[in-house]
Amino acid sequence: MSFLADIEPLLAERFGAENLAPVDYGHRGYHLALALDQERLRELAQLLWEQGCFLEYITAVDQPGVLELVYFFGRLDQLFRLKVTVVMPKGVAVPSISTILPAADWQEREVFDMFGQKFAGHPDLRRILLPDDSDFHPLLKSFEPEHKHGGQVVNLERK
Amino acid sequence: MLRKTLTEDSFYLNMGPQHPSTHGVLHLLLKLDGEHILECKPVVGYSHRGHEHMAQNRTYLQFMPNTSRMDYLGGLCYNHAYCLALEKACDIEVPLRARYIRLLLAELNRLSSHLLWFGAYLLDLGAFTPFLYAFDDREDILEIMGEVTGSRLTYSYCRFGGVVRDLNQNFFDGLKIFIPKMRSRLKDYRTLVSKNVIFINRTKDIGVITPERARAWALTGPNLRGSGVAYDLRRMEPYGLYPEFDFEVCTADAGDCYARYEVRMAEMEQCLRIIEQSLAKLPDGPIQAEGVPQWIQPPAGDYSYSYETPRGELGIYWVADGSRVPQRMKWRTPSFTNISILSELLPGTLVADTVAILGSIDVVVPEIDR
Repeated sequence: MSFLADIEPLLAERFGAENLAPVDYGHRGYHLALALDQERLRELAQLLWEQGCFLEYITAVDQPGVLELVYFFGRLDQLFRLKVTVVMPKGVAVPSISTILPAADWQEREVFDMFGQKFAGHPDLRRILLPDDSDFHPLLKSFEPEHKHGGQVVNLERK
Repeated sequence: MLRKTLTEDSFYLNMGPQHPSTHGVLHLLLKLDGEHILECKPVVGYSHRGHEHMAQNRTYLQFMPNTSRMDYLGGLCYNHAYCLALEKACDIEVPLRARYIRLLLAELNRLSSHLLWFGAYLLDLGAFTPFLYAFDDREDILEIMGEVTGSRLTYSYCRFGGVVRDLNQNFFDGLKIFIPKMRSRLKDYRTLVSKNVIFINRTKDIGVITPERARAWALTGPNLRGSGVAYDLRRMEPYGLYPEFDFEVCTADAGDCYARYEVRMAEMEQCLRIIEQSLAKLPDGPIQAEGVPQWIQPPAGDYSYSYETPRGELGIYWVADGSRVPQRMKWRTPSFTNISILSELLPGTLVADTVAILGSIDVVVPEIDR
């Protein structure tokens, strides 16, 4: 029995079938996409931990006006990948899941470092890759680097 | 200041960022009580170069040279992963010969990465001889790969739809000599190191990671397989031509430093098997797909791709908006996740064990920092 067949109805029941969408794995590389409200993030992390999943990584995408947080969960014994998205207005903290899944500790710190997203309840939310005294979040689209690469930047005209 | 730390009976020790056993600019902030570690905070980011930002500011092809510069020991694996990911998204059909060549070189790269780990790890533990032997073997691989790719570490050999140039006679001649030599060397390493009492005392029952803690900290690669979990993306989520190859996923159950050592030593043997099989099966034909546009433009949407590098699971997640440039590209590098477990693993051990444990995790610092 595949884990995918087990978890899909469970997630649909707990978090709403309208929020859960199967994805074409062969093309996109993951099986399920779940759109989640930030208040239920910890509940989901707890559920997935009990179901034997592990956190692959956390990242974010800077969309116009909002920040889309992306969590990937997988399994160690079979092929399964779940994408969870949490859409947040910029500057609003989301609950940290690092007390449930320690792997989230550094992942959340990286998202904070790169996007300025705060995680409520994180034990040690500091910058991780950039110097502690940096005053910018480089992966936000509003970020303008001080020195552009001489001649390296290509014609970015979007076609 | 001095009095305060003395009365508390504990003090801080900065291990790194310039320390020979941290393999680059890694900084471990250790809180000690004598020789006992009370707390460990890894500090990373000293060699952060902003690869993700760079990826979002150039076309897909222009980012290719960056991939091998993240992990300079497994550069070709990163090249390979990047090409496979983009080819899947753009539905580019790659000629069979090119797929074999890539896989062959990726396995050679994995072997050279494990060899460097082997030599450096033993050096960390005070054994100098294995280091010289391992670097001798590794030099052969670099020479052989250099014949084809034109570079020693920072390969830019793969292209969307194929590879840059075909294998040449020197490559085949070199491998013909190298494979039997490597086999006999692996046997030597087993007799020289695996039964060495000092080595066993330094690594057995040190830094034990249970499968449950490995899952909590999302360990991947040989570190996870050293805890008895047979998670190898080459089998689990087969990419490239791996389903056609006969090899074993190596595991060891103990979860200590010695188990991680065993896994990597066994994996070297499996690398040789895969290399031999791909040499035997290597078909003739073109090495580059026809009609791949100069500027590839994946359809809008988000994509995820995972690849088993020498150090564990590499995850690439990117959001395409239909243009030549990705809107967002995330690289989940294995060492970044693997090393975070140190804050749980080190407390309770001795300073001398730090080197044994850190070495057994096998980190490449520029890959942590990106």
